[in-house]
Amino acid sequence: MALEVNGKSYEVDEEGYLANLNEWNPEVAAALAASDDAELTESHWEVINFLREYYEEYQIAPAVRVLTKAIGKRLGKDKGNSKYLYELFPYGPAKQACKYAGLPKPTGCV
Amino acid sequence: MSTSFQQGINVLKKVIDAPIAAYFSSCTSCGLCAQACIFYTETGNPKYTPIRRVEPMRRIWEQEFTLVGKAKKLLGLSKPVTGQDLKDNVELAFESCTTCGRCTMVCPVGNDIVYMIRRMREGLTAAGLAPKSLQAAAVRTLEKGSVMGFPLKTLEAMIQAAEKETGIKINIDEPNVDYLLLLSSAEVMQFNEIIGALAQIFKEAGVSWTFSSDAYEAGNPGMHMGASEIEAQMINRIVKAAEQLHIKNVISPECGHAYMAIRWEGPNVIGRPYPFKVFHIIEVLDNLRKEGRLKTTGLESERITFHDPCQAARRGGVNQPQRNLLNMVTSNFIEMTDNQSCNWCCGGGGGMNTIESAEPLVKKVFNRKKKQIDELDVTTVVTMCATCRNTLEEGIEENNMNIEVMGLTELLANHLLKEKKS
Repeated sequence: MALEVNGKSYEVDEEGYLANLNEWNPEVAAALAASDDAELTESHWEVINFLREYYEEYQIAPAVRVLTKAIGKRLGKDKGNSKYLYELFPYGPAKQACKYAGLPKPTGCV
Repeated sequence: MSTSFQQGINVLKKVIDAPIAAYFSSCTSCGLCAQACIFYTETGNPKYTPIRRVEPMRRIWEQEFTLVGKAKKLLGLSKPVTGQDLKDNVELAFESCTTCGRCTMVCPVGNDIVYMIRRMREGLTAAGLAPKSLQAAAVRTLEKGSVMGFPLKTLEAMIQAAEKETGIKINIDEPNVDYLLLLSSAEVMQFNEIIGALAQIFKEAGVSWTFSSDAYEAGNPGMHMGASEIEAQMINRIVKAAEQLHIKNVISPECGHAYMAIRWEGPNVIGRPYPFKVFHIIEVLDNLRKEGRLKTTGLESERITFHDPCQAARRGGVNQPQRNLLNMVTSNFIEMTDNQSCNWCCGGGGGMNTIESAEPLVKKVFNRKKKQIDELDVTTVVTMCATCRNTLEEGIEENNMNIEVMGLTELLANHLLKEKKS
């Protein structure tokens, strides 16, 4: 599968996650959101930017619990709860936000 | 008939050993196992009766190993198990069972039903029917070193953060120390406070310990899948690391199934005894308490209860250490009505929490845990398994309960008495 952005083709997996992390750019994020009929606001970007920074440091996307706590610490308590994050990313903050941030789909423990 | 289906049938025939044959011939169909299973009690659906989860295996046993069954098969009265039968069984063996072992505990004739389900899973896995999420978790563990697929670099970054916070140096690959510490992926990814908590506790207790860069994951999806070879590979990685570092004690973390895999199943699946001992972290901490090396200060006065993880408590036998430790730091510890070996499962273990299609059922059966917690009027539930903790946190949030969930190690670290060493 492929995603077309500004005439360039980006490979995505069957669930729409970007195949090559390094190809990510803000336009790709917007296009990935558009394919879910979502529009990225500044509030979305706060989360997406955090995810990319976290990935850079830890080589993996954060778990929802860690994401929620970190957002609360960084952006204020009113944003550090799952209700706020679910409003922004109704398909699940971890899965949906990671997708737009160009990160792999988050996995679970067993 | 596909090859993988035939492989599944062959495995099922092979795993019917003397105990399983005895279990089938002893079952009186009394139904007590249903009453012990959250998937039955919380749904009322008789298909979730534990012994029924191994029905294809029972039919194979009857047809292959009993005189009556052989005769029935010859006369066409007993139909052979089909590929569809195995496919249909996935829901019962994997998608609605946490292998919590409550059925085994109550069975009046002593049938180890959870062992039978484990064997059933082996047949389904051989037939290529193991849930994709568990297969993926196994591939991640083998290829990347951890269940959730993070590399060593992730753990190193977490260790650095813990070192910065506590000012204590944490060893990786240090030989000849007292303990090798394993963690579960969920702890590294979600509850990484535990790294700093243990660093502080061990420093005060004078315990030397290390992580291994070759074996830091305790989780074992091979066990959940019923894939003994995969399980053995994961165990062997730990054994090799402990041997290379000349370490005589390995710590299984706050993770239920990891303890079951490394402590109890390990030597059997790799076919040799370990040259070291394995402890659950809570056993280690309780031993330090007994030796007077774990000193705490202050008591939590809130009403606090404890959730016993199935694999560590009921199946693993770790029941008293957590109570000794809780009594050190709480003044109002209240037991759940069914506790220790009788505790009800959180509903998320055994691989269930990875299976997306099982999510609604996990939420539904949490009702039992909710009832258990609600009647105690507590502020906090403490536990010693990351999967339980995760399931509790999610269930508590879903049900708008105002309850805090904590790991026991972290609670102890909060009360650690820090003495200046001369």
